[in-house]
Amino acid sequence: MALGFNHNIDQHQAPSLFARGPSAFARLVFFTALSLALIVTDSRLQYLTEIRKYLITALHPLQVIANTPANLYSDATEYFSTHARLLTENTALKQQALEQGVALQKLNSLAAENNHLRQLLQANQSMKEQSVLAEVVHVGRDVFTKEIIVNRGEKHSIAAGEAVVDANGVIGQVTRVSPLTSEVTLITSKSLAIPVQIERNGLRAIALGRGRDNTLDLPYLPTNVDIKRGDRLVTSGIDGVYPAGLSVATVTQVDITPDSPFARIICTPTGGTENFKQVLLVQIPQNAVQLSNALAEQSTPTDTASSNAQSATQTSQPTKPNHATQASQANAIKSGQHHASE
Amino acid sequence: MPQSNLRTIYSSLALAFFCILLPWSGLALKLRPDFLLITLIFWLIRAPNVCNIGTVWFAGLMVDLITWGTFGQYALAYTITAYCAIAYQKRLVLFNHTQQLFYVFLLLVVAQVTLLVLKAFSGEYLIGWSYFLPSLTGILLWRIAVAFGLNTGGRARGT
Repeated sequence: MALGFNHNIDQHQAPSLFARGPSAFARLVFFTALSLALIVTDSRLQYLTEIRKYLITALHPLQVIANTPANLYSDATEYFSTHARLLTENTALKQQALEQGVALQKLNSLAAENNHLRQLLQANQSMKEQSVLAEVVHVGRDVFTKEIIVNRGEKHSIAAGEAVVDANGVIGQVTRVSPLTSEVTLITSKSLAIPVQIERNGLRAIALGRGRDNTLDLPYLPTNVDIKRGDRLVTSGIDGVYPAGLSVATVTQVDITPDSPFARIICTPTGGTENFKQVLLVQIPQNAVQLSNALAEQSTPTDTASSNAQSATQTSQPTKPNHATQASQANAIKSGQHHASE
Repeated sequence: MPQSNLRTIYSSLALAFFCILLPWSGLALKLRPDFLLITLIFWLIRAPNVCNIGTVWFAGLMVDLITWGTFGQYALAYTITAYCAIAYQKRLVLFNHTQQLFYVFLLLVVAQVTLLVLKAFSGEYLIGWSYFLPSLTGILLWRIAVAFGLNTGGRARGT
């Protein structure tokens, strides 16, 4: 690559007698102003969302080509993987299928029983959400972003706000959609909040990403809160975005310091937020949106209740991703404080 | 400017852009040099009449697009770096290889610091000193390219 460049350009040696175009400083000022204008437009207004969509779609073929070497490599290693390894993998998968089959049988009978009980109570039927299988195209391009890009988009009727899960649990939420790809913000990102429930005692809380070392935070819980190391957090489903009961994280650290009114609780996600190839995008349940709207109308009398219900409607309809996540974060803090004051 | 040089410049920039598009992850992502900026700095030194701040700004905008970040962040970082490169361009070509390497390192750090400030303002979490590793791998790449005979205009030591 390098050798070819030697013979040609000697621009720097020819002193320029006449200035060509505007001076470097003028260009600096002009392009800096332009960049700042773009930053402000993109972060405060929504004009550039559509343009970005089309540009990203235009670049998609290039992206596919760039991914080809890595895909070829993984395909080749798979092809050359030994017979023995395939056999052991096959046995393991068979066993897993058997175990899951048994669990599924139990689940079916439980689901039927649950349905029956719900009918007896005349409660709402919980809806089964549809999901789309997607493959991770690449992870965030710079070290700041806790995001992944997956190969399903508007064309596959993906909408911003959908939950993203893998075999072990929730890994994030779709925040931006372009025609062929979508951007998933991981639950470990600072800008994402997820309503959870402790599996053991049903205590509700909101988990916030810490933005570093792949962990989640449960902020604003009192020091006497009933949370232990090893407790599993599952989605509570009250936000109307995440289906209830999905595994989110395991509590790995509970610190109670006398100088803070809140416990410091750190959790590790159960889903593989860093190591996976296939993920499921789960559609937002439609009845949840309606339900939260109905709740908002019902619970107008008390102030706190209405603000909580509003927050539920806001989080369940994240049409503007940035604002939605900001709103949900703000709500998380709000409801967290509310919880703490109780 | 002969047509072939223009083609060389733009195809090398396209190649550098393609290198960024490759699916980097984990440690490789942390170490990945900014191929595009390094190529831009090379052309800013070698062919300032063709590769100017406008080109650099546009390249930065492309990086903004593929990182799914806010438009203008990389563009601004690249623009400021390009100005620093152009301001000393005439001296840079007279530097020897080591001096040049040091200056390129400074340029890469300028770009990273600008980006860091912009990202900090938009509320991103800042990772530690390892953030600056791409600048180190960047000058390593530059040194390797020079060792393989890339003419950056610098003189070998002692000449």
